[in-house]
Amino acid sequence: MKAIVRRALFVAGMGLVVIGASVGANAQAPAEIAQRQELMKANGGAMRTLTPMVRGEAPWNAQAAGQAAAKLQEDAVRAKALFPAGTGPDKGQTAALPAIWERKAEFDGMFDKQAQAAANLVRLASANDEAGFKAAFPAVGQTCGGCHTPFRKPN
Amino acid sequence: MNGARKVHLVRLAGVIMFVAGAASSASAQSGDAKRGEYLFAAGGCAGCHTDEKNGGQLIAGGRELKTPFGSFFGPNITADPKFGIGSWTDAEFIRALREGRRPDGAHYFPVFPYTSFTWMTDRDMVDLKAFIFSLPKSERPSRPHEIAFPFSLRFLQFGWKALFFREGPFQPDPAKSTQVNRGTYLVEALGHCAECHSPRNILGGIPGSMRFAGDPKAPGGGKVPNITPDRDTGIGKWSDGDIDELLASGMTPDGDSVGGEMGEVVRNSTSKLTPEDRKAMLAYLRQLVPVSHKVRGGS
Repeated sequence: MKAIVRRALFVAGMGLVVIGASVGANAQAPAEIAQRQELMKANGGAMRTLTPMVRGEAPWNAQAAGQAAAKLQEDAVRAKALFPAGTGPDKGQTAALPAIWERKAEFDGMFDKQAQAAANLVRLASANDEAGFKAAFPAVGQTCGGCHTPFRKPN
Repeated sequence: MNGARKVHLVRLAGVIMFVAGAASSASAQSGDAKRGEYLFAAGGCAGCHTDEKNGGQLIAGGRELKTPFGSFFGPNITADPKFGIGSWTDAEFIRALREGRRPDGAHYFPVFPYTSFTWMTDRDMVDLKAFIFSLPKSERPSRPHEIAFPFSLRFLQFGWKALFFREGPFQPDPAKSTQVNRGTYLVEALGHCAECHSPRNILGGIPGSMRFAGDPKAPGGGKVPNITPDRDTGIGKWSDGDIDELLASGMTPDGDSVGGEMGEVVRNSTSKLTPEDRKAMLAYLRQLVPVSHKVRGGS
């Protein structure tokens, strides 16, 4: 009897070890990491649409500018939700620095600032205010860099 | 207190402050602080001399720079006479930047880029000092460096200088355009770009042939890109607009915004330069010798 119990315990124990190991092996990086990387890439695309226009290297197109700015605004709102606790560099391949979760309110505030700056661009584009748009554009770049500087690992 | 009297007192206080301010600036400063403000931005002084992460006061010191030789902490360079550099004369300030020596004659470690600032003109140094002395003072004590023996021995710097240091000031090259000469001054003297954008040898010196070729093992663990005009490993494929935009706003050709140290440099320094000065920097970078040196996986 005693031996059977011991054996059962042993089998159960091994089972747990196997389950544990398989969980470990299948442990996926949190989905948010890939989602926010995609989002940032798309933001880069929007910036690439806007920058030549603002620099006067591409013709001004109010509709395209408005769409790109709207994308930035929408992404700033979405991105804020993609940095929950437990999605830091200890959980997967990410350049997000632990400082994000140490100073979460400050970090989240940067997305609010970005959303506001982008919303301002959307407004100016829909008013076809080319000069106003160009004057307001640097504020968006500053919020990008303002967040990357303290919160993203340099590559 | 009635309104009129209050206004009168405020005015009086204003006059007293104005007179006091004029008297102190007349006695302590010979430089032009307004010009100095621009040089302060172009030189990026705030970066190492401010503990920004912890909300420290401007140039009151404290930022840590980790290197293979140990940890250095940017000192307090406010005009406080005891904790900062308030007691320094113009000549002492010039000697610090030109020769890399403290007022007591001791050598600085080259983590302070006097190796670049040495190329500044006397006038620019004095104007820079005037601006620094116009900033609020701080009584924050400078934190001692934490350097491993034997690198901690300051007199050894004498030998380091003999190997790696050439003393300025900058002399314009008549064979080159005014713009390239201005760019040389901005990139080499003020911007001290080569200090981070070059690899260092085992003694912490920059091998001349690798200047601006990037540092794959930068202090702090980052990789600093090759900014020579090499097409495959440098910035040879970047358009003039790409480079100007990076200096002006921090945006890279793929729409990303630089962070880390370069994010700071853009914010504190290059974004504050005039468009003409950014063009001059570009002109200087363009005529560098391309060096093939792969620093990053991508570019």
